[in-house]
Amino acid sequence: MAVYLLCLVLFSLGLYCILRKRNIIKIIVGVIIAEYAVNLFFILVAYRMKGRSPILSPDAEILNMVDPLPHALVLTAIVIGLATTALLVAIAMRIYEKYGTFDITKIRELRG
Amino acid sequence: MSLIVKTITRLTVGLILLYGIYIVLHGHVSPGGGFAGGVIIALSFIHLMLAYGKETALRKLSKAAASFFESMGAILFLGIALLGFTGGYFFLNFISKGEPFKLFSAGIIPLCNMAICLKVGAGLFAIFVALVLLKFDSEKR
Repeated sequence: MAVYLLCLVLFSLGLYCILRKRNIIKIIVGVIIAEYAVNLFFILVAYRMKGRSPILSPDAEILNMVDPLPHALVLTAIVIGLATTALLVAIAMRIYEKYGTFDITKIRELRG
Repeated sequence: MSLIVKTITRLTVGLILLYGIYIVLHGHVSPGGGFAGGVIIALSFIHLMLAYGKETALRKLSKAAASFFESMGAILFLGIALLGFTGGYFFLNFISKGEPFKLFSAGIIPLCNMAICLKVGAGLFAIFVALVLLKFDSEKR
């Protein structure tokens, strides 16, 4: 149970970083931290006590495997996270090119 | 980068590429597969670009080549899936399955892994190249 609460703490850290920080790069880092906290939660849900990895090998009886379904889900989530992170970084670079700053409080006017 | 980084990169970049190819080829019998191996292959080229600059890496795998391989991976994956219609339905495993837990087994799954590896490796490298070139564009002005 404690590990789930630690997961929640990590997610809250990412959310704090998104809501509180002014620098766009730090906001992106917060998004990544929140996302990986959710991934970690799924992996922890999939864990069985003394379970082995869910891979069929020639001389192994099939018992006590960890749940493979959240693993597949997290693999897809990591791919989507990669794409969204690349998109966020590209948008941040365009903002820096246009305004010359990463500070979100200075990006107010719709300049040209 | 410094001489140490360049020397270590020259020694290790081939091994990283080889490890990625190993992960892809053994994707159906052990952990790993097309996505993980493709990421490792892309990281070997990104490693080269970080150490030697963008010209050297783009000489090994140019922007047009990365774009071509990315599209080719998607088309190969779709083509393998469509070839299943020769025997019946979409994604039919029409090649002989072979013996389980051997390297040459599992029918079309290794071929699908290779297509995914092309798509992911070239795509990830293209993302990195796009970010680098965008940065250089803004500095030129």
